[in-house]
Amino acid sequence: MSDETRLSRRGLIKGAGLAAGAAALLETAEAAAAAKGKSRRFGPGLVEISLEVNGEPRTLKVEPRTTLVHALRENLALTGTKIGCDRGACGACTVLVDGTPAPSCMTFALDVVGQKITTIEGLADGPKLAPVQAAFVAHDALQCGFCTPGMVMSCHALLQRNPRPSLDEVKQAVSGNLCRCGTYPKVFEAAMAASSTAPSVALNVDSGSARGNEAGANDNSSPVVGGTAESDAKKSQDPGAAMPPSMSLAVGLPGALSRGDRKVPAGEPKPWDGDARLTVVGKPTPRLEGGAKVTGRARYVFDVQLPGMLYAAVVRSPYPHARIKGIDVSRAEKAPGVKAAYIVERILGPAELRLKATAPGKYPLVRYEGQPLAAVAAATQLQAEDAARLVRVDYEVLPHVTNMRDAQQPGAPLVFDGPVEQPGSAGGGGAPKGLPQKGNVRGPLAVTKPKGGDIEAALKESVAVVDATFRTDVQTHSAIETHGAVAEWREDGVTMWCSTQGLHSVQDEIATLFKLPKTRVHVICEYTGGGFGAKFGAANLGVIALHLSRKAKAPVRLFLDRRAEHLAVGNRPSSIQHLRIGAGKDGKLLAIDLRAQGSAGCAAGAGCAGPAKNLYPARVVRTSEEDVFLHTGPAAAFRAPGHPQGVFALEQAMDELAGKLGIDPLELRDRNDAHPARREERRIGAQMVGWAAARARKSSGAIRQGIGFAQGLWYNFDGPHSSAEVILHDDGSLECRSAVADIGGGIRTACAQVVAEVLGVKPEDVRVHVGDTSYPEGPPSGGSMTTQLLTPAVRLAAEHVREQLAGGDVRKPGRTVRGYAERARDYGGWKEDPYTATIGGAQFAQVEVDTDTGIVRVLRVVAVHDCGRPINRLGLESQINGGIIQGVSYALHERRVLDRKTGRMVNADLEHYRIAGSKDVPFIESRVLEHFHGRTNTDASGIGEPATVPTSAAIANAIAHATGVRVRDLPMTPSRVLAALRGGRS
Amino acid sequence: MKSVSWIEADDLQGALSAAAQPGSLVKAGGVDVGDRLKEHLDEPQALVNIRHVGELSFVRVEGEGLTIGPLVTLAQLADDARMPRVLRDACLQAATPLIRSMATVGGNLAQRPRCWYFRNETFHCRRKGGSECFAIEGENEMHAVFDNDICAIVHPSAAATALLALGAVLELRTQSSQRAMPIEQFFVSPEKDVLRENVLAYGELITAIRIPVTKGASAYTKLMAKQSFDWPMAEAAVVLGDRPRIVLGAAAPAPLRALEAEKAIAGARTIDEGLAARAARLAVQGATPLSQNAYKLQLLETAVRRTLLAAGRAS
Repeated sequence: MSDETRLSRRGLIKGAGLAAGAAALLETAEAAAAAKGKSRRFGPGLVEISLEVNGEPRTLKVEPRTTLVHALRENLALTGTKIGCDRGACGACTVLVDGTPAPSCMTFALDVVGQKITTIEGLADGPKLAPVQAAFVAHDALQCGFCTPGMVMSCHALLQRNPRPSLDEVKQAVSGNLCRCGTYPKVFEAAMAASSTAPSVALNVDSGSARGNEAGANDNSSPVVGGTAESDAKKSQDPGAAMPPSMSLAVGLPGALSRGDRKVPAGEPKPWDGDARLTVVGKPTPRLEGGAKVTGRARYVFDVQLPGMLYAAVVRSPYPHARIKGIDVSRAEKAPGVKAAYIVERILGPAELRLKATAPGKYPLVRYEGQPLAAVAAATQLQAEDAARLVRVDYEVLPHVTNMRDAQQPGAPLVFDGPVEQPGSAGGGGAPKGLPQKGNVRGPLAVTKPKGGDIEAALKESVAVVDATFRTDVQTHSAIETHGAVAEWREDGVTMWCSTQGLHSVQDEIATLFKLPKTRVHVICEYTGGGFGAKFGAANLGVIALHLSRKAKAPVRLFLDRRAEHLAVGNRPSSIQHLRIGAGKDGKLLAIDLRAQGSAGCAAGAGCAGPAKNLYPARVVRTSEEDVFLHTGPAAAFRAPGHPQGVFALEQAMDELAGKLGIDPLELRDRNDAHPARREERRIGAQMVGWAAARARKSSGAIRQGIGFAQGLWYNFDGPHSSAEVILHDDGSLECRSAVADIGGGIRTACAQVVAEVLGVKPEDVRVHVGDTSYPEGPPSGGSMTTQLLTPAVRLAAEHVREQLAGGDVRKPGRTVRGYAERARDYGGWKEDPYTATIGGAQFAQVEVDTDTGIVRVLRVVAVHDCGRPINRLGLESQINGGIIQGVSYALHERRVLDRKTGRMVNADLEHYRIAGSKDVPFIESRVLEHFHGRTNTDASGIGEPATVPTSAAIANAIAHATGVRVRDLPMTPSRVLAALRGGRS
Repeated sequence: MKSVSWIEADDLQGALSAAAQPGSLVKAGGVDVGDRLKEHLDEPQALVNIRHVGELSFVRVEGEGLTIGPLVTLAQLADDARMPRVLRDACLQAATPLIRSMATVGGNLAQRPRCWYFRNETFHCRRKGGSECFAIEGENEMHAVFDNDICAIVHPSAAATALLALGAVLELRTQSSQRAMPIEQFFVSPEKDVLRENVLAYGELITAIRIPVTKGASAYTKLMAKQSFDWPMAEAAVVLGDRPRIVLGAAAPAPLRALEAEKAIAGARTIDEGLAARAARLAVQGATPLSQNAYKLQLLETAVRRTLLAAGRAS
């Protein structure tokens, strides 16, 4: 054996008989002469190697333990290749090694010397996209885009060896690539389309960089029309302002439009109502940032690399409940490469004691596994991780509770020793204030409608009653881009690149915690690799990163690993729901009675009564919700908080009730649900899916098929502030700016469509800049509010530009024209009936149940949804697909498994935490119904959340139809399905 | 992952001598080893990379039998029409296309368990020298239903399940010795030694996998909750012929032959529903399920029954 630390390219090793190109570390003469067989030793320090990347030889120095993905990203700055799980389970890191897709996170850099490595950056030929990339853009086969480079690589490799793949071959090829947004159906379409259209398509690959057009930003010479922020806010929010004139708008469903009077504030353009004839808005439009996302050029926070940037690693508690007696970072501080260490002083996320502890300990009490305790920043990620293992923590381990039953036993360990309140986030979350609290139980929040209604009498009067208990497990958000930030502390101000859904929520939190004026806190996030409700505020990670940066006087990058992502940054709370519903002979609901408990871990906010309160107007509706505190990670808002849980119970109960009454399940809804859009959705969906015939079909044998229906709802929140600026430059180029986050919903494209509609250009003529707090304040990307809140501001800003043009040519304005606007509040006169003012949808699921194994496959889902005025039908389809696929995953697979003894999560990975992959995806057909409310000048609503609400219930109802038994626990795993078939509950 | 040296083996002798050095850990495809290093389950001083040793990457047709080099990947086996159906299908359904293109069959046989306690650094379980098996009293839905009183892991290798059904013979070598054994003797039960899953001595490598002539039809079934990338809840591999074999996977700490079931079908000319069902029942007899995994018995039984019928149809 010979020892080597430096390699020079003298020739490739001759690996006898090995396939060409396999072996190729670089050798020296001594090695060849070694006696007992040949081997050469490298490292453990840096080793110089040569890699052939995208056809170019590249020389770099890495440690033997360095994986290829780190070598590509950190040594070669090829950040198109992502990391999702770092264990080969998600495929975000897929590259080609000699043409074969490989997980670069599990590939050592030293192992591929001499092999041909192709990354996402190597596919396009300059501005000309490879056919598969062009097809991804054209078919909208991407949402947040973080998994996209890996997905593209797998498809590209497939097409190279099989130019005409079948659908099953495509599914197989990407079966190692997870997409949390649920883009799979479009990926299948794109890969198959790329196979049939050989010529490559040139598309705009502009990255839409937030830094892309600085010139305009400093150009203050032009007049601004539309008033200042204050004056606009006053106009729209002050009820004492001059009464706006009433305007008659066409509202309702197409084909059945009626007139509705709305009070439209002064300054608003004529609202686009049901009679508006639009040419750009409402049309399927490939997303503008598609080119950037399919080429790996889109710069996520994960990809931000700054000169002198340090990498952080966090020490987390392995115990769910512990008092920290001491933390010693001294050894870590002396470790190689370490520039700073920080001991955590305060924890964000959990509920907070109303009365602060009188003698708080030096360190925050540990209330969940994975709670951050300390962190170090070092020159490399590996050095930071090495150093973090040198931090000594002295724990006093305390008894914990991690299930709801134990938590309510007398003498159970307390999560909080006093009443708490839950701070909210811009994405929802939070919990009602001032509720009673006893032991680990907070609540109840009890509501009866109408007040004083007698629920027992209503149940007694019912001819049919369903009385059942439903349980749902905890689901984690599992965005493929984990939570993370790059923080830079400078004396003149702070810059936070933070993977977020709400730029201003990060700014607010940093400004407050660090006592800085907001003007000194600059937040940037060009692209967010998935959020689903969990990415608001700077959070512990952002605070830690900034402390480290301040200490180290250098920018610090802190990203969570997959394990911490499951444990520490949010989840969908569990629930146990005792539900009783009853109806009269005519099927009219007389009673809905829900008693629910749920756990948001060491946070509050596990309520799930929204559907029971708002879906059906029963004669008496009574709900009671309680939070049960556990020593588990704090929940966060998660795609329609409370609603998938609530609908899973309520819509199964409705199905059972229909059975008891001998009424078709759709008919039962028709008799109880006055919502005009949902009625139409049921009708259309039933036709599309062939409801009557499928329902009549009886299936027998081991493999049974069934069809089920469920519907869901979400709300039209008259949410927070939102503003935008449209700039028409003197050369005719156009941009639109707003500090909104692009989490994959396609907000850039929606804005461009609105500007294009107003100014008579094409969407691709508009550069949309988002994700930077130096732009006008945008809405948070959550609550299904983004499009609804931002497009009215964008439209108004564009109208201001148009006014100033005064009929001039938009292509040759000759001067720069700027329009700034804030959105008006929802128009007065827009009705507030909670049962019909909602958005939502109807879903039909067809399943196949293997009654010998309990394995359920969802074959087909038909979904009909409404979201006010659809802006981009292509993007909407993608979001509906995603909601359904996340719903399928929730219905059948997702479950946080806690070890009962230690309270630790045993499946905090993407291997045993099961997320639906390509072969788990049903065939999906969706329709979006226009439903005009006359609410804003664009009348857009959202889709992100409602699309996922009914899926699990529809699947459960289909299982019941197929097998005759009900599975009342989520997820409906094979063992639970088998138990139900045997007449029990697992 | 701790800092580590890298020893690039250029030939088999080089690999064997490096593997025998103290503090070394042999790496082939690197899927399992990479994971163990990242989880801090192993902290070797040196990784011995055998991935590019050409002498270990081959497929030979010898007589009517096959000999497979340990560095042949699962993807290659799945694609190789010379391989028996049972092995191709087992390899094709393992993990993901990305992993299959890296994972070698030798590494697949020698990989350590995927038990979620074993893979978690914070659980010092019996297999890591601790005093308890956390799964037995804990979260055991994916764990063993046979031979699970000491340690409830299931063997993670799908290829092993198929190779046991095929009666494969493994050739093992150290720097100074060489031996061959039927694959069932390769596995070590927890009673014998809970710290290891196989007989590989320090510095010993699998150098070849011999598959004897199989005339009988074969079939493989893997039952997963999720259809893209999941570990099996139950597996069955069947090879028919004069001495038929039925093997259960995801059932015990090692791939498990269902001897009573094998007896039941021995000599049968055809496999009908009744015979398959009878054999399948026998296959799960004597199981000792844990608190959360009794459901696996029905899955294993179904897997055996369906695999027998599939193999019967193919013959």
